[in-house]
Amino acid sequence: MRRGKLIDLARPSRQHWLGYILLAPAVILVAAIIVYPLIISIDLSFQDVKLPRMGAPRKPFTLENYQKLFSSPEFWQTCWVTLKLVVVVTIACLAVGLGTALLVNNRFRGRRLARLAVALPWAVPEVIATVIFAWIFDSSFGLMGWIFIKLGLANQMVAWFSDTTAAFWVVATTMVWKGYPFVSIMTLAGLQSIPEDFYNAAKVDGANAFQRLRWITIPSLMPVLGVTMVLVTLWVFRDFSIIKVLTDGGPLKATQTLSIMTYNEAFGFFKFGYASAVGVITLLLCVVASMAMLGRGSKAMY
Amino acid sequence: MKRTTSQNIALYAGVVAVCAFLLFPIYWLVVTALATSAELSQLPPTFWPESPQWETFTKVWAERPIPLWLLNSTLAALGSVALSMFVSVLAGYSLSRFSVRGGHSLGLFILTAKMLPATLLVIPLFSIFRSVGLIGSLWSLVIAHSTLIIPFTTWMMKGYFDTIPRELEQAAMVDGCSPLSAMVRVILPIATPGLAATALYAFVLSWADYAYARTFLTNEQGSWTANLGITTMKGEYVTDWNEIAAAAVFIAVPIIVIYLFLERYLVGGLTAGAEK
Repeated sequence: MRRGKLIDLARPSRQHWLGYILLAPAVILVAAIIVYPLIISIDLSFQDVKLPRMGAPRKPFTLENYQKLFSSPEFWQTCWVTLKLVVVVTIACLAVGLGTALLVNNRFRGRRLARLAVALPWAVPEVIATVIFAWIFDSSFGLMGWIFIKLGLANQMVAWFSDTTAAFWVVATTMVWKGYPFVSIMTLAGLQSIPEDFYNAAKVDGANAFQRLRWITIPSLMPVLGVTMVLVTLWVFRDFSIIKVLTDGGPLKATQTLSIMTYNEAFGFFKFGYASAVGVITLLLCVVASMAMLGRGSKAMY
Repeated sequence: MKRTTSQNIALYAGVVAVCAFLLFPIYWLVVTALATSAELSQLPPTFWPESPQWETFTKVWAERPIPLWLLNSTLAALGSVALSMFVSVLAGYSLSRFSVRGGHSLGLFILTAKMLPATLLVIPLFSIFRSVGLIGSLWSLVIAHSTLIIPFTTWMMKGYFDTIPRELEQAAMVDGCSPLSAMVRVILPIATPGLAATALYAFVLSWADYAYARTFLTNEQGSWTANLGITTMKGEYVTDWNEIAAAAVFIAVPIIVIYLFLERYLVGGLTAGAEK
């Protein structure tokens, strides 16, 4: 039979040289540009280096970077800021994203346009979003200061970026605006997969709109919302451009997250070893946080 | 179920109000670009420019290196998309069709790489690029952006290949195709829409980068990408908000156009590897 010469791609065991060859370029590239640099940075975090030169002899192994890190109040403050920002932005993104998705999921003429519009900020590059909000919150002629005066919340223009609390909320607002469309898009996709029959059956049983939302929509969306929450959390955790351009972590490091601290220690103070230690901790926290949130269902990520 | 007229009106009013509120920052960007400098330095702010200053756009385009920045962003994006797509199409096909030893763990590793903070990877990449003389060159971005893109595109492509029935290759092979030519002649043409969507999504990822551009391209203005360039326009001495806004529009438009094309495929990209 000629069958033996063919590889049957439907068979469970489909090992074949072609499979390896097709995978090879990705393996080589990922090893060279992700794994190797990652190993370097973990290695750097255990050395006392300022600005490393490749090929220079390795500095002696030391735990100093981590010791300095854990005993530094700045690090703990940064963790606290990161945590606050992650919680505030994630909850707000989920609320706005879910609300907008449920709103445009109704049947009406122009629904397609509304769906495009509601998630449009997804398509605005982060740096551009940041520029827009920097202008809206400008301390001389910004729109928001004027609105605050009109509403009687302030007597004069607010210097948003010199007040620690205000700066935090400006950063959070910008991130929510940039982040909620992702939740809308994911939720809209999740809503598509809920069978219409569920709703019809509920209506026959006399469930009102709120009960249908509470007992059908929300439970059916839970798996999607879980994954979405993890992805939003990871995004806030690691985001660089919004905070860097808007406040650069200031004032008084009130908006400095771990990502900003990593970057500024490396490229502001040229302490590459110390910065790598902050970065490694950030990565560990990302992994731990996402595993904790997904719990036993962490397989769902894959 | 039929809605009453008043429910319909409430729904439309709700949708319009919410969209207007959420899209206001985009409107504000355009208004700012069209306002005169005088209108931007007075209160109350100008909500509707009396005489739209369209020449701000031509002025910014001519006087600032915007075309060059856009070209640099495009080149970096094209380079990283080409490199990433080449390896991810092949790897995605392999992960979808063959059970190669270690393939599954590699897939998982690539997926986990999405969690890597760019601010961590930028440190070793900077050291490497400095020693091989890539600092200031767009090639550094091609490589760095590939680290962002590959984890997404590999899983997106695997997902698309999974939706194509295996029987197609088998039919082709029964007709005498080799496994390789079955992939190239039969499967890749079918996967073209998915391939295009994945490439566009990868383009957006590269275009959005700021961290790598800021770190690797510090030398001269001519080598900057659009995102890096526009941040330098903020607060040089006096911030000309109308010029920044006009530049921002130039930078945002390509991505918004891609979004309008890509919207129906977006979910695939955003969830790549997230559900199975």
